Amino acid sequence: MTGRSKRMLWPVVIVVYALLLAPLVVVIVVSFGSTSTFDFPPKGLSLRWYRAFFGSEMFVRSFFRVSQVVGLLTALAATIAGTLAAIGLVRLRFRGRQAIETFFLSPLLVPHILLGAAVYLYLARLAWPTSSVTLLVGHIVIATPYVIRCVTAGLVGMDPRLEEAAMSLGASRRQAFFKVTLPLLRSSLVTGAVFAFIISFSDINLALFLAGPSAPSLPVHIFSQIQFEADPSIAAASALQIVIVGGLILVVQRLFRLRLMV
Amino acid sequence: MDRTGPSPSWALFVGPYGIYLLVFLVVPFANVALLSVYHHSPTKIAIPGFTDANYAKLFELYYANLFLRTLRLSVVVTAVCVALGYPLAYVLARSTSRIMTLGLFLLIMPLMVSTVIRVFGWVVILGNEGLVNQGLRLLGAGDGVRLLYTEGAVILGLTQQSLPFMVLPIMAAIERIPPSLEEAAENLGASWGQMFVRVIWPLSMPGLLSGSLLVFSVSMSAFITPALMGGRRERMVGQQIYEEVLTAYDWPGAASLTIVLVVMMLGLVGLTLWATRRRARLEMTRR
Repeated sequence: MTGRSKRMLWPVVIVVYALLLAPLVVVIVVSFGSTSTFDFPPKGLSLRWYRAFFGSEMFVRSFFRVSQVVGLLTALAATIAGTLAAIGLVRLRFRGRQAIETFFLSPLLVPHILLGAAVYLYLARLAWPTSSVTLLVGHIVIATPYVIRCVTAGLVGMDPRLEEAAMSLGASRRQAFFKVTLPLLRSSLVTGAVFAFIISFSDINLALFLAGPSAPSLPVHIFSQIQFEADPSIAAASALQIVIVGGLILVVQRLFRLRLMV
Repeated sequence: MDRTGPSPSWALFVGPYGIYLLVFLVVPFANVALLSVYHHSPTKIAIPGFTDANYAKLFELYYANLFLRTLRLSVVVTAVCVALGYPLAYVLARSTSRIMTLGLFLLIMPLMVSTVIRVFGWVVILGNEGLVNQGLRLLGAGDGVRLLYTEGAVILGLTQQSLPFMVLPIMAAIERIPPSLEEAAENLGASWGQMFVRVIWPLSMPGLLSGSLLVFSVSMSAFITPALMGGRRERMVGQQIYEEVLTAYDWPGAASLTIVLVVMMLGLVGLTLWATRRRARLEMTRR
Protein backbone atom coordinates (compact mmCIF):
# COMPACT_ATOMS: atom_id res chain seq x y z
CA MET A 1 0.00 0.00 0.00
CA THR A 2 1.41 3.34 -0.94
CA GLY A 3 1.42 6.03 1.70
CA ARG A 4 -0.62 8.40 -0.44
CA SER A 5 -3.65 6.19 -0.96
CA LYS A 6 -3.65 5.18 2.68
CA ARG A 7 -3.70 8.82 3.75
CA MET A 8 -6.70 9.36 1.48
CA LEU A 9 -8.65 6.84 3.54
CA TRP A 10 -7.97 8.46 6.92
CA PRO A 11 -10.83 10.99 6.73
CA VAL A 12 -13.27 8.10 6.24
CA VAL A 13 -11.73 6.27 9.20
CA ILE A 14 -12.16 9.31 11.42
CA VAL A 15 -15.77 9.82 10.32
CA VAL A 16 -16.59 6.17 10.99
CA TYR A 17 -15.13 6.23 14.50
CA ALA A 18 -16.88 9.53 15.23
CA LEU A 19 -20.14 7.93 14.14
CA LEU A 20 -19.54 4.80 16.23
CA LEU A 21 -18.56 6.63 19.39
CA ALA A 22 -20.72 9.78 19.25
CA PRO A 23 -23.77 8.34 21.02
CA LEU A 24 -21.66 6.83 23.80
CA VAL A 25 -19.64 9.99 24.42
CA VAL A 26 -22.78 12.12 24.49
CA VAL A 27 -24.48 9.80 27.00
CA ILE A 28 -21.50 9.91 29.35
CA VAL A 29 -21.20 13.70 29.18
CA VAL A 30 -24.94 14.29 29.64
CA SER A 31 -24.95 12.04 32.72
CA PHE A 32 -22.78 14.62 34.53
CA GLY A 33 -25.09 17.51 33.65
CA SER A 34 -26.75 19.61 36.32
CA THR A 35 -30.02 20.57 34.61
CA SER A 36 -33.10 18.41 34.28
CA THR A 37 -32.97 18.37 30.47
CA PHE A 38 -30.45 16.52 28.33
CA ASP A 39 -28.22 19.51 27.60
CA PHE A 40 -25.21 18.92 25.47
CA PRO A 41 -22.80 20.47 26.22
CA PRO A 42 -24.07 20.53 29.82
CA LYS A 43 -24.75 23.92 31.41
CA GLY A 44 -23.03 22.81 34.59
CA LEU A 45 -21.51 19.68 36.07
CA SER A 46 -22.94 17.65 38.93
CA LEU A 47 -23.46 14.14 40.18
CA ARG A 48 -27.17 14.65 40.85
CA TRP A 49 -28.27 12.10 38.25
CA TYR A 50 -26.05 9.46 39.76
CA ARG A 51 -27.58 10.23 43.14
CA ALA A 52 -31.03 10.06 41.54
CA PHE A 53 -30.11 6.75 39.93
CA PHE A 54 -28.97 5.17 43.19
CA GLY A 55 -31.97 6.68 44.94
CA SER A 56 -34.47 5.16 42.50
CA GLU A 57 -35.74 1.82 43.66
CA MET A 58 -36.61 0.64 40.15
CA PHE A 59 -33.24 1.54 38.68
CA VAL A 60 -31.31 -0.06 41.52
CA ARG A 61 -33.44 -3.19 41.37
CA SER A 62 -33.18 -3.56 37.60
CA PHE A 63 -29.44 -2.98 37.71
CA PHE A 64 -28.33 -5.03 40.71
CA ARG A 65 -31.09 -7.57 41.24
CA VAL A 66 -31.97 -8.36 37.65
CA SER A 67 -29.30 -7.47 35.08
CA GLN A 68 -26.30 -8.22 37.23
CA VAL A 69 -27.61 -11.45 38.72
CA VAL A 70 -28.97 -12.80 35.44
CA GLY A 71 -25.71 -11.79 33.72
CA LEU A 72 -23.55 -13.65 36.23
CA LEU A 73 -25.73 -16.77 36.17
CA THR A 74 -25.78 -16.67 32.35
CA ALA A 75 -21.99 -16.44 32.33
CA LEU A 76 -21.72 -19.42 34.67
CA ALA A 77 -24.15 -21.66 32.79
CA ALA A 78 -22.94 -20.64 29.33
CA THR A 79 -19.30 -21.24 30.28
CA ILE A 80 -20.00 -24.75 31.51
CA ALA A 81 -22.27 -25.76 28.60
CA GLY A 82 -20.12 -23.97 26.02
CA THR A 83 -16.83 -25.43 27.22
CA LEU A 84 -18.22 -28.95 27.17
CA ALA A 85 -19.65 -28.40 23.70
CA ALA A 86 -16.39 -26.92 22.37
CA ILE A 87 -14.32 -29.84 23.69
CA GLY A 88 -16.76 -32.28 22.16
CA LEU A 89 -16.64 -30.49 18.83
CA VAL A 90 -12.86 -30.12 18.64
CA ARG A 91 -11.45 -33.22 20.28
CA LEU A 92 -13.87 -35.92 19.39
CA ARG A 93 -14.39 -36.96 15.80
CA PHE A 94 -17.84 -38.12 14.92
CA ARG A 95 -20.17 -38.01 12.00
CA GLY A 96 -22.23 -34.89 11.63
CA ARG A 97 -19.75 -32.82 13.62
CA GLN A 98 -19.96 -29.96 11.11
CA ALA A 99 -23.75 -29.93 11.20
CA ILE A 100 -23.77 -29.85 14.99
CA GLU A 101 -21.30 -26.98 15.03
CA THR A 102 -23.51 -24.97 12.66
CA PHE A 103 -26.51 -25.78 14.85
CA PHE A 104 -24.67 -24.69 18.00
CA LEU A 105 -23.63 -21.37 16.48
CA SER A 106 -27.06 -20.70 14.93
CA PRO A 107 -28.26 -18.47 17.82
CA LEU A 108 -25.72 -15.94 16.53
CA LEU A 109 -27.68 -15.69 13.27
CA VAL A 110 -31.27 -15.88 14.50
CA PRO A 111 -32.51 -12.32 15.08
CA HIS A 112 -32.99 -11.88 18.81
CA ILE A 113 -36.35 -10.18 18.51
CA LEU A 114 -37.69 -13.26 16.72
CA LEU A 115 -36.12 -15.61 19.25
CA GLY A 116 -37.60 -13.54 22.08
CA ALA A 117 -41.07 -13.66 20.53
CA ALA A 118 -40.78 -17.40 19.79
CA VAL A 119 -39.70 -18.30 23.33
CA TYR A 120 -42.38 -16.02 24.78
CA LEU A 121 -45.14 -17.70 22.77
CA TYR A 122 -43.78 -21.11 23.76
CA LEU A 123 -43.72 -20.21 27.46
CA ALA A 124 -47.28 -18.89 27.13
CA ARG A 125 -48.35 -22.24 25.75
CA LEU A 126 -46.66 -24.02 28.65
CA ALA A 127 -48.34 -21.51 31.00
CA TRP A 128 -44.92 -20.66 32.43
CA PRO A 129 -45.04 -17.05 33.65
CA THR A 130 -42.16 -14.76 32.63
CA SER A 131 -39.68 -13.71 35.31
CA SER A 132 -35.94 -13.41 35.79
CA VAL A 133 -35.78 -17.19 35.47
CA THR A 134 -37.22 -17.18 31.95
CA LEU A 135 -34.87 -14.30 31.10
CA LEU A 136 -31.96 -16.46 32.23
CA VAL A 137 -33.28 -19.34 30.13
CA GLY A 138 -33.28 -17.13 27.03
CA HIS A 139 -29.89 -15.58 27.72
CA ILE A 140 -28.20 -18.96 27.99
CA VAL A 141 -29.36 -19.71 24.44
CA ILE A 142 -27.71 -16.59 22.98
CA ALA A 143 -24.61 -16.41 25.20
CA THR A 144 -23.32 -19.98 24.90
CA PRO A 145 -22.21 -19.68 21.23
CA TYR A 146 -19.75 -16.96 22.28
CA VAL A 147 -18.16 -19.32 24.80
CA ILE A 148 -18.06 -22.10 22.20
CA ARG A 149 -16.23 -19.83 19.76
CA CYS A 150 -13.75 -18.71 22.35
CA VAL A 151 -12.94 -22.13 23.74
CA THR A 152 -12.81 -23.67 20.25
CA ALA A 153 -10.25 -21.05 19.22
CA GLY A 154 -8.25 -21.80 22.36
CA LEU A 155 -8.33 -25.56 21.80
CA VAL A 156 -7.44 -25.33 18.11
CA GLY A 157 -4.46 -23.13 18.94
CA MET A 158 -3.18 -25.59 21.53
CA ASP A 159 -0.51 -28.18 20.87
CA PRO A 160 -2.09 -31.63 21.43
CA ARG A 161 1.34 -33.00 22.24
CA LEU A 162 1.26 -31.21 25.61
CA GLU A 163 -1.59 -33.41 26.77
CA GLU A 164 0.07 -36.47 25.21
CA ALA A 165 3.32 -35.67 27.00
CA ALA A 166 1.49 -35.48 30.31
CA MET A 167 -0.13 -38.84 29.61
CA SER A 168 3.15 -40.47 28.63
CA LEU A 169 4.54 -39.26 31.95
CA GLY A 170 1.86 -41.23 33.69
CA ALA A 171 -1.09 -38.88 33.99
CA SER A 172 -4.49 -40.32 33.32
CA ARG A 173 -6.54 -38.72 30.56
CA ARG A 174 -8.61 -36.99 33.20
CA GLN A 175 -5.54 -35.71 35.06
CA ALA A 176 -3.96 -34.53 31.81
CA PHE A 177 -7.11 -32.63 31.00
CA PHE A 178 -7.51 -30.96 34.36
CA LYS A 179 -3.82 -30.33 35.03
CA VAL A 180 -2.60 -29.36 31.55
CA THR A 181 -5.38 -28.51 29.11
CA LEU A 182 -7.74 -26.61 31.36
CA PRO A 183 -5.08 -24.25 32.79
CA LEU A 184 -3.93 -23.52 29.24
CA LEU A 185 -7.50 -22.69 28.30
CA ARG A 186 -7.84 -20.23 31.14
CA SER A 187 -7.78 -17.05 29.05
CA SER A 188 -10.29 -18.49 26.57
CA LEU A 189 -12.59 -19.45 29.42
CA VAL A 190 -12.38 -16.03 31.05
CA THR A 191 -13.00 -14.28 27.73
CA GLY A 192 -15.95 -16.54 26.98
CA ALA A 193 -17.46 -15.97 30.41
CA VAL A 194 -17.01 -12.20 30.16
CA PHE A 195 -18.65 -12.10 26.75
CA ALA A 196 -21.51 -14.26 27.97
CA PHE A 197 -22.02 -11.77 30.82
CA ILE A 198 -21.91 -8.78 28.45
CA ILE A 199 -24.37 -10.38 26.01
CA SER A 200 -26.83 -10.93 28.83
CA PHE A 201 -26.16 -7.56 30.47
CA SER A 202 -26.72 -5.61 27.23
CA ASP A 203 -29.53 -7.63 25.70
CA ILE A 204 -32.84 -5.91 25.24
CA ASN A 205 -34.61 -7.80 22.46
CA LEU A 206 -35.04 -10.99 24.46
CA ALA A 207 -35.54 -9.16 27.72
CA LEU A 208 -38.51 -7.19 26.32
CA PHE A 209 -40.38 -10.46 26.02
CA LEU A 210 -38.90 -12.65 28.73
CA ALA A 211 -38.01 -10.44 31.70
CA GLY A 212 -41.58 -10.21 32.92
CA PRO A 213 -43.40 -6.99 33.82
CA SER A 214 -42.47 -6.91 37.50
CA ALA A 215 -38.70 -7.34 37.14
CA PRO A 216 -37.42 -5.47 34.06
CA SER A 217 -33.72 -5.72 33.29
CA LEU A 218 -31.75 -2.48 33.14
CA PRO A 219 -32.01 -2.04 29.34
CA VAL A 220 -35.76 -2.71 29.47
CA HIS A 221 -36.22 -0.20 32.26
CA ILE A 222 -34.19 2.37 30.29
CA PHE A 223 -36.34 1.64 27.24
CA SER A 224 -39.61 2.30 29.05
CA GLN A 225 -38.17 5.40 30.71
CA ILE A 226 -37.13 6.87 27.35
CA GLN A 227 -40.59 6.20 25.98
CA PHE A 228 -42.65 7.56 28.80
CA GLU A 229 -40.65 10.09 30.81
CA ALA A 230 -37.32 11.67 30.10
CA ASP A 231 -35.64 11.36 33.46
CA PRO A 232 -31.91 12.11 33.19
CA SER A 233 -31.00 9.29 35.55
CA ILE A 234 -31.35 7.24 32.32
CA ALA A 235 -28.09 8.90 31.31
CA ALA A 236 -26.41 7.92 34.58
CA ALA A 237 -27.62 4.33 34.22
CA SER A 238 -26.46 4.21 30.60
CA ALA A 239 -23.07 5.72 31.44
CA LEU A 240 -22.56 3.07 34.13
CA GLN A 241 -23.35 0.35 31.61
CA ILE A 242 -20.93 1.81 29.06
CA VAL A 243 -18.14 1.98 31.64
CA ILE A 244 -18.72 -1.59 32.83
CA VAL A 245 -18.86 -3.04 29.31
CA GLY A 246 -15.88 -0.96 28.14
CA GLY A 247 -13.82 -1.96 31.17
CA LEU A 248 -14.59 -5.66 30.72
CA ILE A 249 -13.65 -5.57 27.05
CA LEU A 250 -10.43 -3.75 27.86
CA VAL A 251 -9.56 -6.56 30.28
CA VAL A 252 -10.31 -9.44 27.91
CA GLN A 253 -8.54 -7.76 25.02
CA ARG A 254 -5.31 -8.43 26.89
CA LEU A 255 -6.15 -12.12 27.03
CA PHE A 256 -7.64 -12.92 23.68
CA ARG A 257 -7.83 -12.00 20.02
CA LEU A 258 -11.09 -10.11 20.14
CA ARG A 259 -11.93 -10.32 16.49
CA LEU A 260 -12.71 -14.01 16.78
CA MET A 261 -15.73 -13.10 18.84
CA VAL A 262 -17.99 -11.39 16.38
CA MET B 1 -12.97 -39.24 29.67
CA ASP B 2 -11.10 -42.43 30.50
CA ARG B 3 -8.07 -44.10 29.06
CA THR B 4 -9.86 -46.79 27.14
CA GLY B 5 -9.60 -44.99 23.84
CA PRO B 6 -12.39 -43.67 21.67
CA SER B 7 -15.89 -44.17 22.93
CA PRO B 8 -19.23 -42.59 22.11
CA SER B 9 -18.68 -40.22 25.05
CA TRP B 10 -18.98 -37.14 22.83
CA ALA B 11 -22.68 -37.23 23.57
CA LEU B 12 -21.82 -36.28 27.12
CA PHE B 13 -20.05 -33.19 25.87
CA VAL B 14 -22.25 -31.86 23.11
CA GLY B 15 -25.40 -33.27 24.69
CA PRO B 16 -26.27 -30.61 27.29
CA TYR B 17 -26.26 -27.59 24.98
CA GLY B 18 -27.68 -29.69 22.13
CA ILE B 19 -30.70 -30.67 24.18
CA TYR B 20 -31.00 -27.15 25.55
CA LEU B 21 -31.13 -25.72 22.02
CA LEU B 22 -33.70 -28.28 20.97
CA VAL B 23 -35.93 -27.36 23.88
CA PHE B 24 -35.48 -23.58 23.81
CA LEU B 25 -34.77 -22.81 20.15
CA VAL B 26 -36.11 -25.52 17.86
CA VAL B 27 -39.33 -26.31 19.70
CA PRO B 28 -40.25 -22.61 20.19
CA PHE B 29 -39.87 -21.96 16.47
CA ALA B 30 -41.84 -25.12 15.66
CA ASN B 31 -44.54 -23.78 17.96
CA VAL B 32 -44.46 -20.47 16.06
CA ALA B 33 -44.84 -22.34 12.76
CA LEU B 34 -47.85 -24.16 14.20
CA LEU B 35 -49.40 -20.97 15.59
CA SER B 36 -49.02 -19.29 12.22
CA VAL B 37 -51.64 -21.58 10.67
CA TYR B 38 -54.05 -21.41 13.61
CA HIS B 39 -57.15 -19.23 13.67
CA HIS B 40 -56.91 -15.92 15.45
CA SER B 41 -59.52 -15.36 18.13
CA PRO B 42 -60.01 -12.12 20.06
CA THR B 43 -60.97 -14.03 23.19
CA LYS B 44 -58.82 -17.14 23.21
CA ILE B 45 -55.84 -15.77 21.21
CA ALA B 46 -55.44 -18.86 19.04
CA ILE B 47 -57.77 -21.69 18.05
CA PRO B 48 -56.24 -24.91 16.70
CA GLY B 49 -57.25 -25.79 13.15
CA PHE B 50 -55.67 -25.03 9.81
CA THR B 51 -56.06 -21.68 8.11
CA ASP B 52 -53.93 -19.75 5.64
CA ALA B 53 -55.56 -16.46 6.63
CA ASN B 54 -52.52 -15.26 8.60
CA TYR B 55 -50.34 -15.55 5.53
CA ALA B 56 -52.99 -14.23 3.13
CA LYS B 57 -53.25 -11.17 5.37
CA LEU B 58 -49.59 -10.35 4.65
CA PHE B 59 -50.52 -9.52 1.05
CA GLU B 60 -52.73 -6.67 2.21
CA LEU B 61 -51.43 -3.22 1.37
CA TYR B 62 -50.46 -2.40 4.97
CA TYR B 63 -48.25 -5.46 5.39
CA ALA B 64 -46.85 -5.27 1.86
CA ASN B 65 -45.77 -1.70 2.58
CA LEU B 66 -44.34 -2.75 5.93
CA PHE B 67 -42.17 -5.40 4.30
CA LEU B 68 -41.15 -3.17 1.40
CA ARG B 69 -40.15 -0.36 3.76
CA THR B 70 -38.16 -2.75 5.95
CA LEU B 71 -36.43 -4.21 2.89
CA ARG B 72 -35.67 -0.79 1.43
CA LEU B 73 -34.22 0.55 4.71
CA SER B 74 -32.15 -2.61 5.17
CA VAL B 75 -30.70 -2.35 1.66
CA VAL B 76 -29.81 1.32 2.23
CA VAL B 77 -28.20 0.56 5.61
CA THR B 78 -26.20 -2.31 4.09
CA ALA B 79 -24.98 -0.09 1.25
CA VAL B 80 -23.97 2.73 3.63
CA CYS B 81 -22.15 0.19 5.81
CA VAL B 82 -20.21 -1.10 2.80
CA ALA B 83 -19.25 2.44 1.78
CA LEU B 84 -18.12 3.43 5.29
CA GLY B 85 -16.92 0.06 6.54
CA TYR B 86 -14.76 -1.04 3.63
CA PRO B 87 -12.16 1.75 3.90
CA LEU B 88 -11.91 1.22 7.65
CA ALA B 89 -11.52 -2.53 7.18
CA TYR B 90 -8.72 -1.96 4.68
CA VAL B 91 -6.84 0.49 6.89
CA LEU B 92 -7.15 -1.80 9.94
CA ALA B 93 -6.09 -4.90 8.00
CA ARG B 94 -2.94 -3.15 6.81
CA SER B 95 -2.07 -1.37 10.05
CA THR B 96 0.48 -2.14 12.75
CA SER B 97 -0.66 -4.38 15.57
CA ARG B 98 -0.78 -1.42 17.99
CA ILE B 99 -3.23 0.55 15.88
CA MET B 100 -5.15 -2.65 15.20
CA THR B 101 -5.59 -3.29 18.94
CA LEU B 102 -6.91 0.21 19.55
CA GLY B 103 -9.03 0.13 16.39
CA LEU B 104 -10.64 -3.17 17.34
CA PHE B 105 -11.37 -1.99 20.86
CA LEU B 106 -13.11 1.14 19.55
CA LEU B 107 -15.02 -0.99 17.07
CA ILE B 108 -16.18 -3.79 19.38
CA MET B 109 -16.85 -1.76 22.52
CA PRO B 110 -19.80 0.22 21.03
CA LEU B 111 -21.16 -3.03 19.60
CA MET B 112 -21.34 -4.57 23.06
CA VAL B 113 -23.16 -1.69 24.72
CA SER B 114 -26.93 -2.19 24.81
CA THR B 115 -28.76 -1.04 21.68
CA VAL B 116 -31.14 1.00 23.75
CA ILE B 117 -28.28 3.05 25.16
CA ARG B 118 -26.83 3.81 21.74
CA VAL B 119 -30.27 4.84 20.52
CA PHE B 120 -30.66 7.05 23.60
CA GLY B 121 -27.40 8.79 22.64
CA TRP B 122 -28.81 9.52 19.19
CA VAL B 123 -32.03 10.84 20.68
CA VAL B 124 -29.97 13.37 22.64
CA ILE B 125 -27.86 14.29 19.59
CA LEU B 126 -30.71 14.63 17.11
CA GLY B 127 -33.41 16.09 19.36
CA ASN B 128 -34.89 19.54 18.96
CA GLU B 129 -32.42 21.00 21.46
CA GLY B 130 -29.73 18.53 20.45
CA LEU B 131 -26.20 19.03 19.25
CA VAL B 132 -27.02 19.10 15.55
CA ASN B 133 -29.83 21.59 15.91
CA GLN B 134 -27.67 23.84 18.09
CA GLY B 135 -25.03 23.78 15.38
CA LEU B 136 -27.58 24.62 12.71
CA ARG B 137 -28.91 27.49 14.82
CA LEU B 138 -25.41 28.89 15.29
CA LEU B 139 -24.89 28.78 11.54
CA GLY B 140 -28.30 30.31 11.01
CA ALA B 141 -29.15 27.32 8.86
CA GLY B 142 -32.37 26.36 10.58
CA ASP B 143 -34.31 26.36 13.81
CA GLY B 144 -35.55 23.21 15.45
CA VAL B 145 -35.22 21.05 12.34
CA ARG B 146 -37.01 17.74 12.76
CA LEU B 147 -34.21 15.20 12.60
CA LEU B 148 -35.57 12.62 14.99
CA TYR B 149 -38.56 10.46 14.07
CA THR B 150 -37.54 10.36 10.41
CA GLU B 151 -36.32 7.60 8.13
CA GLY B 152 -32.91 9.27 8.01
CA ALA B 153 -32.61 8.94 11.78
CA VAL B 154 -33.44 5.23 11.60
CA ILE B 155 -30.83 4.72 8.87
CA LEU B 156 -28.23 6.58 10.93
CA GLY B 157 -28.99 4.57 14.06
CA LEU B 158 -28.98 1.21 12.29
CA THR B 159 -25.75 2.08 10.48
CA GLN B 160 -24.02 2.91 13.75
CA GLN B 161 -25.21 -0.36 15.27
CA SER B 162 -24.27 -2.65 12.43
CA LEU B 163 -21.04 -1.14 11.06
CA PRO B 164 -18.77 -3.44 13.12
CA PHE B 165 -20.54 -6.46 11.62
CA MET B 166 -19.46 -5.19 8.21
CA VAL B 167 -15.91 -4.17 9.10
CA LEU B 168 -14.78 -7.33 10.91
CA PRO B 169 -15.37 -9.94 8.14
CA ILE B 170 -13.98 -7.64 5.43
CA MET B 171 -10.92 -6.97 7.56
CA ALA B 172 -10.37 -10.69 8.08
CA ALA B 173 -10.63 -11.29 4.31
CA ILE B 174 -8.16 -8.51 3.45
CA GLU B 175 -5.71 -9.72 6.08
CA ARG B 176 -5.56 -13.03 4.25
CA ILE B 177 -4.39 -11.28 1.06
CA PRO B 178 -0.60 -11.09 1.25
CA PRO B 179 0.66 -7.49 0.91
CA SER B 180 3.24 -8.85 -1.53
CA LEU B 181 0.39 -9.40 -3.99
CA GLU B 182 -0.37 -5.67 -3.92
CA GLU B 183 3.29 -4.83 -4.39
CA ALA B 184 3.59 -7.27 -7.27
CA ALA B 185 0.64 -5.71 -9.07
CA GLU B 186 2.04 -2.23 -8.58
CA ASN B 187 5.54 -3.31 -9.66
CA LEU B 188 4.01 -4.68 -12.83
CA GLY B 189 2.69 -1.21 -13.59
CA ALA B 190 -0.83 -1.23 -12.19
CA SER B 191 -1.98 1.99 -10.59
CA TRP B 192 -3.30 1.73 -7.03
CA GLY B 193 -6.84 1.93 -8.37
CA GLN B 194 -6.28 -0.85 -10.90
CA MET B 195 -4.59 -3.00 -8.31
CA PHE B 196 -7.53 -2.47 -5.94
CA VAL B 197 -10.15 -3.38 -8.55
CA ARG B 198 -8.28 -6.44 -9.85
CA VAL B 199 -6.73 -7.82 -6.66
CA ILE B 200 -8.15 -6.58 -3.37
CA TRP B 201 -11.81 -6.15 -4.25
CA PRO B 202 -12.36 -9.64 -5.76
CA LEU B 203 -10.36 -11.39 -3.06
CA SER B 204 -12.20 -9.60 -0.26
CA MET B 205 -15.60 -10.51 -1.73
CA PRO B 206 -16.33 -13.40 0.69
CA GLY B 207 -15.82 -11.05 3.64
CA LEU B 208 -17.99 -8.41 2.01
CA LEU B 209 -20.76 -10.94 1.42
CA SER B 210 -20.82 -12.28 4.95
CA GLY B 211 -20.63 -8.76 6.39
CA SER B 212 -23.53 -7.64 4.21
CA LEU B 213 -25.53 -10.66 5.27
CA LEU B 214 -25.05 -9.85 8.96
CA VAL B 215 -25.86 -6.15 8.54
CA PHE B 216 -28.90 -6.92 6.44
CA SER B 217 -30.32 -9.37 8.94
CA VAL B 218 -29.72 -6.97 11.86
CA SER B 219 -31.63 -4.26 9.99
CA MET B 220 -34.44 -6.51 8.80
CA SER B 221 -35.23 -7.49 12.38
CA ALA B 222 -34.62 -4.10 13.99
CA PHE B 223 -37.03 -3.08 16.70
CA ILE B 224 -35.57 -0.65 19.25
CA THR B 225 -34.14 1.77 16.69
CA PRO B 226 -37.29 2.31 14.60
CA ALA B 227 -39.40 2.32 17.77
CA LEU B 228 -37.43 5.15 19.39
CA MET B 229 -35.98 7.01 16.38
CA GLY B 230 -38.55 6.41 13.65
CA GLY B 231 -41.81 8.14 12.88
CA ARG B 232 -45.14 6.69 13.89
CA ARG B 233 -46.08 5.97 10.33
CA GLU B 234 -42.84 4.49 9.10
CA ARG B 235 -42.81 1.29 11.08
CA MET B 236 -40.69 -1.79 10.47
CA VAL B 237 -41.55 -5.48 10.70
CA GLY B 238 -39.88 -5.93 14.11
CA GLN B 239 -42.19 -3.33 15.65
CA GLN B 240 -45.22 -5.04 14.18
CA ILE B 241 -44.20 -8.41 15.66
CA TYR B 242 -43.58 -6.86 19.07
CA GLU B 243 -46.95 -5.17 19.07
CA GLU B 244 -48.93 -8.14 17.82
CA VAL B 245 -47.41 -10.33 20.54
CA LEU B 246 -47.43 -8.00 23.54
CA THR B 247 -50.18 -5.45 22.97
CA ALA B 248 -52.57 -6.64 20.25
CA TYR B 249 -52.43 -10.32 21.30
CA ASP B 250 -52.72 -11.43 17.68
CA TRP B 251 -50.34 -14.34 18.13
CA PRO B 252 -51.14 -16.18 14.90
CA GLY B 253 -50.53 -12.91 13.05
CA ALA B 254 -47.19 -12.36 14.79
CA ALA B 255 -46.29 -15.99 14.11
CA SER B 256 -46.83 -15.67 10.36
CA LEU B 257 -44.71 -12.50 10.28
CA THR B 258 -41.95 -14.28 12.21
CA ILE B 259 -42.00 -17.28 9.89
CA VAL B 260 -41.81 -15.07 6.79
CA LEU B 261 -38.83 -13.18 8.22
CA VAL B 262 -37.05 -16.40 9.22
CA VAL B 263 -37.61 -17.93 5.78
CA MET B 264 -36.31 -14.77 4.10
CA MET B 265 -33.16 -14.86 6.23
CA LEU B 266 -32.56 -18.56 5.67
CA GLY B 267 -33.01 -18.05 1.93
CA LEU B 268 -30.50 -15.25 2.01
CA VAL B 269 -27.96 -17.30 3.98
CA GLY B 270 -28.40 -20.15 1.50
CA LEU B 271 -27.97 -17.79 -1.45
CA THR B 272 -24.79 -16.32 0.03
CA LEU B 273 -23.32 -19.75 0.71
CA TRP B 274 -24.19 -20.82 -2.83
CA ALA B 275 -22.60 -17.67 -4.28
CA THR B 276 -19.36 -18.07 -2.32
CA ARG B 277 -19.10 -21.78 -3.21
CA ARG B 278 -19.74 -21.06 -6.88
CA ARG B 279 -17.13 -18.36 -6.76
CA ALA B 280 -14.61 -20.69 -5.18
CA ARG B 281 -15.34 -23.28 -7.89
CA LEU B 282 -14.92 -20.71 -10.66
CA GLU B 283 -11.59 -19.63 -9.24
CA MET B 284 -10.46 -23.25 -9.10
CA THR B 285 -11.25 -23.83 -12.78
CA ARG B 286 -9.63 -20.56 -13.78
CA ARG B 287 -6.30 -21.64 -12.35
